[in-house]
Amino acid sequence: MLGRAQASRPSLSLPAPLHRIPLRAGNVVEIAGPSPSAKTQLLIQTAVSCILPKERNGVHYGGLGHSVLFVDLDCRFDVSRLVEMLRHRIVQVNGCSCTADDEEILKLSMRRFSYIRCYDSCELLAALKTLHHRLEKEKESNGIGGHLLMIDSIGAFHWVDRASTSLPLGGKNRKYLSLQNVLEVVVEDLRKLMSAHPMLVIVTKATIVGTTGNDFRRNYKRWPSAGTFDASSELEGLREPYFREYMPPIWQSFVTHRILVRGSDDHIAMPKSQENNTAYVSEWLLPRLNFLDKFVVRNAGVFLVS
Amino acid sequence: MASLKRLETEFPILDPDFQSFCALRGIFTVQDFLIRDLQSLVADAEQQPSSERFMQAINQVLYVIDGLHQPWLNGVDLMEDAQKNKHVLSTGCEGMDFLLRGGLRRGQVTELAGPSSSGKTQMQPRVLQEVMNSILCHSVYDIFSMFDVLHCLESKLKYQMCRGDNDERLIIIDSISSLITPILGSSGSQGRALMVSAMSLLKKLAHEYNLAVLVTNHTVGGDGGIPKPALGESWKTLPHVRLLLSRDCGSNTYQVSLLKHPSIASGKAAKFIIND
Repeated sequence: MLGRAQASRPSLSLPAPLHRIPLRAGNVVEIAGPSPSAKTQLLIQTAVSCILPKERNGVHYGGLGHSVLFVDLDCRFDVSRLVEMLRHRIVQVNGCSCTADDEEILKLSMRRFSYIRCYDSCELLAALKTLHHRLEKEKESNGIGGHLLMIDSIGAFHWVDRASTSLPLGGKNRKYLSLQNVLEVVVEDLRKLMSAHPMLVIVTKATIVGTTGNDFRRNYKRWPSAGTFDASSELEGLREPYFREYMPPIWQSFVTHRILVRGSDDHIAMPKSQENNTAYVSEWLLPRLNFLDKFVVRNAGVFLVS
Repeated sequence: MASLKRLETEFPILDPDFQSFCALRGIFTVQDFLIRDLQSLVADAEQQPSSERFMQAINQVLYVIDGLHQPWLNGVDLMEDAQKNKHVLSTGCEGMDFLLRGGLRRGQVTELAGPSSSGKTQMQPRVLQEVMNSILCHSVYDIFSMFDVLHCLESKLKYQMCRGDNDERLIIIDSISSLITPILGSSGSQGRALMVSAMSLLKKLAHEYNLAVLVTNHTVGGDGGIPKPALGESWKTLPHVRLLLSRDCGSNTYQVSLLKHPSIASGKAAKFIIND
C-alpha cells in the first residue's frame, strides 16, 4: 500500500539544497534563516524549476510544468529576478539561438506563476479562504495539475498579531484576531487545500526573535577560518540553536520538513568574476542530516558549491 | 470590518434568520467569518431547516471575502507592470547609481543607514533634484503623525489615480529611526508592531502608486566596533534594499555598501565624492 501511495504522489525533483530529501505533494517545508540568507532566492529558483515545461517543441527543459502560487507576505518580491533566472535557464538549454522561441517559453512559464500580496493577516486569511474556489475553477478549465504553494515569509505579521489585543465583544464563543487564532485558521485552511488539491507547500521564515547580535557572532566564530571545512567542528557550533522558535506549536507540528540557511563567513572566489561571492550554508533540521550544503547565489541562480 | 447586519441592505440573502444562526456561533462581522472554520459552519448549516438559504448566504459572504484581499496576479501581468511602471529614479550620484543598477526603483523601499555626518542628509538634495517639480515637506515628531500624513497621502493618490494624473514619484522619510526608536522597548511587541505596520503601509504606497521610498536609519555599535544599522533584527526583513553609508575621516569621500537587494548580490560597495 505504501508503494501505491508513493506512486500516486511522485516525488518532485527540486533544485539544491531541496534535492537531498524526496519531497512530494502533502509535505510542508519550512526554510528558516536570519536576514539576509538567500531564502527568497531559493524559492525563486524552485519556482523556475516548477514553471518550466518538461519539454516543448522537442527541446527538453527539465522543468515540472507545475503551477506556482506565490503568497507574498513580506511584499518584497522582485519579478525581474524571477524573469532573469528563468531566462538564464532557457538560454542555457536553447543555446544562443531562437530568441522568438525563448520569449514564447518564457511567457508560457510565467503564465503558470500566480502571485498575491497580503498586507496584513486579514488579507491572508481572506486569500486562503477563497483559494479553494479559485483552484476548483482552474481545475475545470485546465484539468488537474500539480501545484506548489509558496509563502514568503510566515513570520511577517508576527509582531502585529502579537500586539493585537482586541477584546471580544458580544458573546463568549466569539473569537478575536490573535496570533494563536490566526495561525490555527491558516493551518486548518492549508490542510484543507492540500487534501482537495495535491500541493507541496514551501514556506520561508525569518528568524526575527532571538538572541542578540552578539550571540550570533559568537556562534559564528566557532566556525573554522576560510579555507578549511571541518565538518565535525562546524556541526558542534550548529547544534546549539542560536535563534528562538517563535511560531506556536500548532505551526511547528504542521511543518513536515525544516531547513536552516544562513550566510557563511567564507567567501568563495569565483574564477570568472573578480569578486568574491557570499556563500550560504544550509542544513536539514527535519529530518536531521549530518552534513551541510554550501551554495552561492549568482545571476543565473543558486548553485551548490561543495 | 462590515457587520452582517450592515451587509443585509446590500445582500438581502443575509436575513435576520441567518444573522441569528451566526450570532449563536459568535459570528457578527465578516472578520469573525475569517477566523472561523468554514467546514464546520457549513456542516452546521446543512442540519438547519432552511439549509439551502443558509448555504447561499454563506456563499454570499465568501463573495464579499473575495473582495477583501489583493487580486491574484499572473506572472505575465507582473512582468508588464514592472516594465511599464517600475522604473528607476537616479540618485544624482554616479557611484550609487552604478551600485544600484540605475538608482532607486519605484515600488521599492530603500533604507540608507549611516552614522551621523556620514552623508545621509547630503544625499537627499541630489535625489530631490530629479523630482524638482513637486516637493512637499511634512514635519512629523512621532510615528502616529507619520501614519496620519501617509493615510492622507494615500487618499490623495487614490483620487489622483482615478483622475489619471500621477504627480508624486518619491517619498523620503528622514529619519525613520528617530520615529521608531522611542517606541521600541525590549520586551513589548507594540513598538515592533507599529514598525511593521508603518513599513507595510509604505510598501503598499510604493507598489500601488509606483513611488520610490527612501528611509534613513542611524547606526549602533556592532561586533568589533563596526557600526551596523539600528532598529534590530526584525527591521532587517522590512526594506527591499539596504545600504550602509560611511565617510572617510575628514574627507569628502563616502563609501556606500549594499547590505541587501532583491536582485543584486550583497557585499558590493562604491566610493564617491561629494563636493559642496
